[in-house]
Amino acid sequence: MREHTLKGGRSATRLPVIAGKVIVWLFLAAVAVVTVFPILMTVTGSLMTNAELLGGGNILPKSWQFGNYADAWRQSNFARFTWNSVFLSVMATVGTLLVAAMAAYVVDRRSFPGKSLYIGLQASTMFISMGAIVLRPQFDLMVKLGLNTSLWGVILILMSAHASTFFILLSFLKAIPREIDESAMMDGASFTRSFYRIILPLLAPGLGVSGLFAFRHAWNEYILPLVFTMTNPKLQTLTVGLANLRYGSSAAMQTNLMMAGACLSIVPMLIVYVLANRTFMQVTAGSIKG
Amino acid sequence: MTRWGKWRENSLFLLPSVALTLALGIYPLAWVLRYMFYEYAGYGQETFIGLDNFERLWRDDDFWASVRNTFVFAGGKLLLTIPVSLLLAVILNGKLRGKHVLRAVFFMPTVISTAVIAVVFYIIFNSYNGMINQLLLTNGAIAEPIAWLGPKFAMLTVIIVAAWGAIGNYMLLFLAGLQSIPHDLYESASIDGAGPARRFWSITVPMLGPVMQIIIMLAIIASLKGYESIMVMTEGGPIGKTEVMYLYLYKLLFPIAGSGTPVDQQFGYGSAVGFATALIVGVITAAYYYMSRKMNKVY
Repeated sequence: MREHTLKGGRSATRLPVIAGKVIVWLFLAAVAVVTVFPILMTVTGSLMTNAELLGGGNILPKSWQFGNYADAWRQSNFARFTWNSVFLSVMATVGTLLVAAMAAYVVDRRSFPGKSLYIGLQASTMFISMGAIVLRPQFDLMVKLGLNTSLWGVILILMSAHASTFFILLSFLKAIPREIDESAMMDGASFTRSFYRIILPLLAPGLGVSGLFAFRHAWNEYILPLVFTMTNPKLQTLTVGLANLRYGSSAAMQTNLMMAGACLSIVPMLIVYVLANRTFMQVTAGSIKG
Repeated sequence: MTRWGKWRENSLFLLPSVALTLALGIYPLAWVLRYMFYEYAGYGQETFIGLDNFERLWRDDDFWASVRNTFVFAGGKLLLTIPVSLLLAVILNGKLRGKHVLRAVFFMPTVISTAVIAVVFYIIFNSYNGMINQLLLTNGAIAEPIAWLGPKFAMLTVIIVAAWGAIGNYMLLFLAGLQSIPHDLYESASIDGAGPARRFWSITVPMLGPVMQIIIMLAIIASLKGYESIMVMTEGGPIGKTEVMYLYLYKLLFPIAGSGTPVDQQFGYGSAVGFATALIVGVITAAYYYMSRKMNKVY
C-alpha cells in the first residue's frame, strides 16, 4: 500500500462512520419508542377521560383524572382483583421457595438412594413444561380435593413448578460452607433446626433472587387463574379481571378504567424492576450460560 | 444418628417437592397418555376406542389449520425477534454511551404480564378508535381505519405483539453469549485491518454459534407454545385466522362460551390433540437441533 491511501483512507472513512452511527442511533431510538409506547400509553391513558383517550392525539392528559383509579378500585372491582393477585403471588412465592429450599438442602448436604433420579426428574420437568396439555387433569385433581373454590389450587400448581428455583437455590447452597451447619449440629442442633436457624438466613440472597422470579411468574400468570375462576368471579386476579373487561356490558368500553387496571398490574412490577433490574438481567443471562 | 433417623429426615424434607411433582407433573402426563385412547366427555361413560381419536385427528381440518397457523405465527415471530434482538445485543455490547440504560429499557417488557399488555394492545390496535389508527389517520398515512384485528391483519398484529414481549429477553441472552467472546480476538482483527462488518461475520457469528444454537432453539419452542396474547386479543379469530395449536387444544379442554370455533369438552380427543401437539413441538425441536449442529463447531 502506498502511503497516501492510508492517509486518504482515514478522511474518506469519516463520512461512512458518521452515517453508520446515525443509522445505529435511529435503530435504537425506533426500538426504544416501540418498546416504551404501549407502557407510556397505559400510564398516561389511565389518567385521561375516556373521550380524550379514544380521541387520540394526546400523549399527556389535558387534565389529570386521578379519579379513574378510585372508579376502577370500587366500581370495577379492582380492589378485590388486587388483593387476590397479592395473596396468590405471595403464597405461591413463599411456598415455592420453601419446597425448593428444603429439597435443595437435603440434596446438597446428604446422600441418599435415588438422589440422581430425583435431580433428573426435576431437570426434566423444567424442560418438558407441558402447559395447556396437562391443565385438565391438574384442574380435575384440584376439584376432587375441593381446592378449586379457593386460590389454593392455583397456588399448589404454581408451587409444583419449582424446578428452576430448586436449581438456583442448589447453586447458592453449594457456596455455603458445610462446616457451618455441621458444627451447629455437633453442638446439638437438629437437622431441621439447623435448616431454619442457619441455612435459611444464609440463603437469603438466593431466596431473594429466585423469589423475584417466582413472584413475577405468579403475578403475571393468566391461564391458571382464568381456568380456576370461570365459575367463581370473586377469585379473579388482576390479569383475569382486566382481560374480562373486554366483554363490557355496555357498547362502549371504559378504556381509561381498563388502562388504570392495567397500571395496577404493571406499575408494581416496574418499580421492582427499577430497583432490581441488575438481578433480573443477571439471572436471565445466567440461564444460557448454564 | 441412626440410619433410620437420617432416612426419616431426608424423606420429610423431600416429601413436599416429590409429592407436588408426582401429583401435578407426572400424574397429569399419565392421564393424557391414558385418555387419548378413550372417548370421555369429562363425566359419565368412558369408552376405550383404540386409535379412533388419532384417526379423527388425521381428518380434523381445524386442527391442521391450527398447525399451519402455528407455523406462520412462530415463523413470523422468529423472523422479527431474532434479527432485532441480535442486532441490539451486538450494538449494546460495544462502546456506547448509555448502553446500560438502553439494555434496561429493552428488557422491560419481560417483567410485564403477557395477558395485561395484550389487553393494552387490544385497545391500541382497535380498528374503530384505537390509537394506532388515530395516529395514522391524523398523519394522513392512511385514508380510512385499518382493521388490525380483522381477517387480513390479525396474524400480523399478534406476531408484532408477541415479538414486542420477546425481543428484550433474547437480546439479553445474546448479550450473555457475546460477552463470553474474548476481547483480544477483536483487537488483533482490528490491527490486521478488519472493519466492523468483517469482524462481525468472521468473529462474532462463528464464536456465537454454540450459544446462538441454544438461544434459537429456546425461541422456537417458546414461539410454538405461546398462545396467551392471542387468546386475549383475538381468541383465535376472526374466522380461525389466528387459532394456533395450543389455543385449539385449550378450547377442547376448557370450552370458551361464544368463541369462534364451537366445541364442547372432549377429554379423550383433547388428550390425543395434546399428545400430537407435544409431538409436533418435539419433532421440530429435534429437527432444528440436527440441522443446526454445524453451529456448534467452532474452529
